[in-house]
This record gives sequence, structure tokens and C-alpha cells, in this order.
Amino acid sequence: MIGIEHYMIVSAILFVLGVLGIFLNRKNVIVILMAIELILLSVNLNLVAFSAFLNDLVGQVFAMFVLTVAAGEAAIGLAILVIYFRGRGTIAVDDPSRMKG
Amino acid sequence: MVDLSQYLPILLFLFVALALSAAFVFLPMGVSRLTGTHNPDAEKLSEYECGFPAFEEPRSQFDVRFYLVAILFIIFDLEAAFLFPWAVSLDITGWAGWITMMVFLFELIVGFAYAWKVGALEWE
Amino acid sequence: MSYASSFYFTLPEVILSLSGLALLMVAAFAGKASARIVTILSVAALFGAGIFTAHLLSDPAFALGGDAFSGVYRMDAFGSYAKILIYLATIGILMVTQRYFDSTGEYRPEYPVLMIFGAVGMGMMVSAVDLMTLYLGLELSSLSSYVLASYARSDGRSAEAGLKYFVLGALASGILLYGMSLVYGFTGATDYLSILAAMSDGLSGGMLFGLVFVLAGLAFKISAVPFHMWTPDVYEGAPTPVTAFFATAPKVAAIALLMRVALDPFGAQVDAWRQIVIFSALASIVVGALGAIGQANLKRLLAYSSINNVGFILIGLAAGTQAGAGAMLVYLAFYVAMTLGSFVAVLMLRDGEGRQVETLADIAGLSRSHKGLALCLAVMMFSLAGIPPLMGFWGKFVVFRAAVDADLILLAAVGIAASVIGAFYYLKIVKVMYFDEPAGVVAGKGDAASWVVLALTTLFVSPLGFLLTIWLGNWTNRAAAALFFAA
Repeated sequence: MIGIEHYMIVSAILFVLGVLGIFLNRKNVIVILMAIELILLSVNLNLVAFSAFLNDLVGQVFAMFVLTVAAGEAAIGLAILVIYFRGRGTIAVDDPSRMKG
Repeated sequence: MVDLSQYLPILLFLFVALALSAAFVFLPMGVSRLTGTHNPDAEKLSEYECGFPAFEEPRSQFDVRFYLVAILFIIFDLEAAFLFPWAVSLDITGWAGWITMMVFLFELIVGFAYAWKVGALEWE
Repeated sequence: MSYASSFYFTLPEVILSLSGLALLMVAAFAGKASARIVTILSVAALFGAGIFTAHLLSDPAFALGGDAFSGVYRMDAFGSYAKILIYLATIGILMVTQRYFDSTGEYRPEYPVLMIFGAVGMGMMVSAVDLMTLYLGLELSSLSSYVLASYARSDGRSAEAGLKYFVLGALASGILLYGMSLVYGFTGATDYLSILAAMSDGLSGGMLFGLVFVLAGLAFKISAVPFHMWTPDVYEGAPTPVTAFFATAPKVAAIALLMRVALDPFGAQVDAWRQIVIFSALASIVVGALGAIGQANLKRLLAYSSINNVGFILIGLAAGTQAGAGAMLVYLAFYVAMTLGSFVAVLMLRDGEGRQVETLADIAGLSRSHKGLALCLAVMMFSLAGIPPLMGFWGKFVVFRAAVDADLILLAAVGIAASVIGAFYYLKIVKVMYFDEPAGVVAGKGDAASWVVLALTTLFVSPLGFLLTIWLGNWTNRAAAALFFAA
């Protein structure tokens, strides 16, 4: 039987993977965007699992909002990326040397 | 005053999650090192392209215009996701729900008109 | 709780959203030429929203506030007070922005529109009484901020600041959201009252996780230590007016949001978060004070100064009392005035060719060539350092008094000691301006709008500001009481 705790563990692993993806990744800004999406999806998994577990629709509504805001966030991230690489004269995604974070 | 012991479970939880996700990241690397012979040479590292030397970088540069289309697609595609729950629950939400969605669509249309007017939809 | 009253309570946001949409259309169809008129109309819209917020604040019929839209949004004295600060800061920045972009010709009408949408989001943040409204407001303001940070397209530093701000801001949102999902799962609700009720029965492990993650995400947004590392880089890279915006309006919104979240839904478990806040407050004060020493860039220096100030504000939160919340609101008002004034003064530093000057060496001997500007900047620095006749001292004083009243004497003592270290670099700027050999880099006069903003903020932090303290005290008391009424 798969219970709520299994969903929580999967979600926690996804969350930590996403955070690690941001901090360990030194090559590719697009991968950072994916890592951010991974974090948001782990949250969504949590929300939907809790929603089913609690028999309460609010969690699913919240998940919808997170999903759409994540789309907006990804779009803005891509747009900033395009400006960034236009400024550097290349769009090849490699180590942004001046970034320290 | 300072009693940090109650934060201990959080630390444990994070360490467990960290260990598990680190295992996912490093285990495949380690296993492939141990099981296969690790012996790279120039031939092996080059891309295979039907017998010819590679013509260009395999990670070719995408045209920026594709990014623009992708950006617009993500937004309008996912904002439309609100339409599905709205459609099946319209008999519950009634006119208030209908008007709310019309306001939302109006806002989307304003955004669309802006994108159109500034030329984001043109390919050239 | 009809739709009419809901819309009445949210009218400031409705006004701003509609004007934002309308101005976006003007921007699209009239193009770059409309930048000036769009800016003026945006200021008018913000002014209108501010007047209406003040009306709501002063109307005795709504003295206790009211809920809107089935309890996801709350109009009360606290939200209205924070919103007025936010709108005033945004207006001030819109007034001084255009000149900054004169030299590059990059000023487009989208800039004020983004500011308006940011203001809508911040208004939602401070009025939210549901985690969903909180998240949507926070994201609306953050997304506008990301775009604004990378606004100067010709400047590589700006795009880099935008990228960095985006990545770390999105990470913060993720941490915050993860905490929210845990809070929802373990309390079974997203609205503050139900969370408060669920947490009053005791704090389970899951709730504690959620609480810690939510606070960590919010600490990122207010750039409190240990989540401050993005601040100096982003503040340095972003265009100066945008930096001024980041240091004022979104910071007010995020701190107000943190106050509401900590004291309303988590208000039953003050002991669970007090240690985190105390640690963060002390670390912010120390890191802000030490980090600023040795900075040559004025924008970086002001970034550390803002980290330092956030620490002082958090002392009020650590007190966890109504007096502490009121003290934070008083401090916020002076903080906005001081920060806005300092950044406007930095904005007015230009060399002979109209380029921006932003290093400490360039303002050496400023007092010989630009008496007025040097005087205003000196007043701001003395005030930030907390030298008594100026209002910055008053802000620190009320915060420390609240901490002492809440028996946090050690915290207050360390804070006072650290503020002496902090005074060092503020006074260094004054010394460089008044006693060093003139570098003769800064040339030209500022424009009228900048002078108006600078003069008003200088008057507000000068001893004349004491004339306003009766009003301010009255408003902050009511605002803080509104926070505790809901609890």
C-alpha cells in the first residue's frame, strides 16, 4: 500500500535534487531552469498528494496556480537568458564565468 | 533560551534526502566506472556521424527565434490550463465564475495584443 | 461579504491592474515616444491608489478592516499602511528614473508598466491572508523585478544581475512553496485563521518543517543573513533606479509579509521561530556592518547597508509583541526614506559626459563643488548611522525599546554594539565627501524631480520629521493592532 509518506519522500528527494541541481551545476544555465522546474514539481506532487489524502480540493487548486506561475517564471527565465547571451555575443550555453551564485 | 534540539528532525530529514539524491547522482557514475573499462581516446570521444568526421558542434546553436516562440507557447499554453477545471465546474460557479474567466481571458488577450504589436510573433 | 465590498476593499489593486493593462496597450501602440506620458500616468495611478488606500485607512467604518473574496484577502490598517509606503516609494523612483536612461536612450514605456504590476503584486502580498494569495502576489512582484533587473540591455552587468536574481529568487520561491505545501499538508488548510487554529493545538514535526522552510524562503526575499549573498551583486549590476526600487518597495512588502505570516498563522508558536529570527537579525547586522567596510562601490555599500537595516528591523519581530510590530513599521518608514534618499543622491552623481558615477573615490571632496547634494547625502548617512537628532536614531530606538520590553536585553545590547561598527562606514562616506581632496569627477546639476524627491526625504529624516511622529505613531499603532486583532 502506498501511503502519504511515500509521496512525501519522493517529493523531498525531488526537491533536494532540484536544489543540488542549482548549486552543483556549473555548465549550463538551461539546466538551472530545469532544476527550478523540478523544485516546483516536487511541490506540486506534495500538494496533490496532500489534497487527495485530506480529501480537500484546495491543494489541487494551489497546484494549478503553481503550475501556471511556473510557466510564467520559466518564460521570463528564458527571456533573461536570451538577453544575457545576446550581450555576450553568443547564445551557446556555457559557464557564465562572472556568476558566483 | 536557545533550544536547537527541536530543529534536529529537520536536519536529519535534509540529510536523508541529501544522501538519497546524492546516491541518485553519483551511483550511476560510480557504477559505470567500476563495471566498464574506462579507457577514453580521441576516437571514442568524437561524435559518430555515419563514418565521416563531424561537420559541426553537436550542441548546435539554436536560433534565438525558437526561444521566443517557445516562451510565448509556454505562457499561452499553460494559462489555458485554467479553462479545463473552469469548464467542468461552471454549473457550480455560475455567472460569477463565467465573468471571472472572461476577465482572465481579457487579460490574456491584452498580453497577446501586446506581443503581436511589438512584433514578437513575426518570424523575420 | 458581497462582491461589492470585496471589490471596494481591493480597489487599490483593481485601479492599478486596470491602469497597468491600459498603459501596456498605450505602450504597444504608441511606442517609445509615449514613455514620458506613460510614466506620468503611472505616477497618477499610483497616487490614486494611494489616496484611496489612505481613505480606507482613515474611514472609521472600516477601522477593524474587512475580508474580501471569501477570506483570501484582508483589508486592514496594517496592509493599508504598508501599501502607502510601497506606493510612495514606487512614485519616488518613477520620478527619478527617466534621466538615468537619458544617456543610453533605453527608456521605454514598459518600465513604468512593470513597476505598476510589481506594485499590484506587493499590495497583494501585504494584504494576503491565504497562502495562495500570498504566493501569487509574491510571484507577480518577483517576476516584474526579474525583468526590471535586466532592463538595461546594452549593459552586460544588468543582464547578469537579472539572471542571478532570477535563479536565486526562483530558488527562494521554491523553498517557500515547499514549506507552504508542508504547512498545508499538516494543518489541512491554506488560510491563516485555520492554520493558526491547527497550530494552536501543538506543533507537529511536519508543521515545524513547513514553518522553517517558509521562513527561509522569506528570509531570501528580504535578504536577511544567511540568505543574503545575492544582494550585493544584484544591487551592483542592476540599473541604479531599479536598485533603489529593490531596496525600498519590494523590501517593505516582503518584510510586511513576513510580519503577517510570523504573527498571524504562526502566531501561536512564537517560540518555534523566535530563535531563527534572533539568529538572522544578529547575523544580518554583523554581516551588513562588516561587509560594507572596504567596499569601493557605493551601490554595493548601500546593499550591505540594507542587509544591516533588515537585521535591525528583525529585532522588532524577534520581540513578537504588538510594540515590536509597531516599532518595525516605524523603522520601515524611515528606512524607506533614508534608502530612497541615498539612492537618489547616488543617481545624481554624474560626470561631465552624463555618465553615472558610483565609486567612493569619485565623490571625494564633493562638498566643495556640490554643497547641497553633499549635505543631503551626509544627512542620509548620519541618519543611517543612527546619530541622535536624525530620525534614523528614532527608528533604532523604538526597535531596541521593544526588544528590551520583551526581555531580549542581550539581543538589544549586541545590536547596539554592532550599530556602532556600522556607523564607521557611514561616517567614512561623510569624511570622504567633506575632508578629502576633491576628485572633480562629478559635474552638472541634478534635474528638478530628483531634487524634489531628495529634499522631501531629507526633510523627513531631519529633526523636522519629529513633527510627523504623532501621525506616524498613531498609524503604526493601529496597523500593529490590526495584526494582533486577527490573531
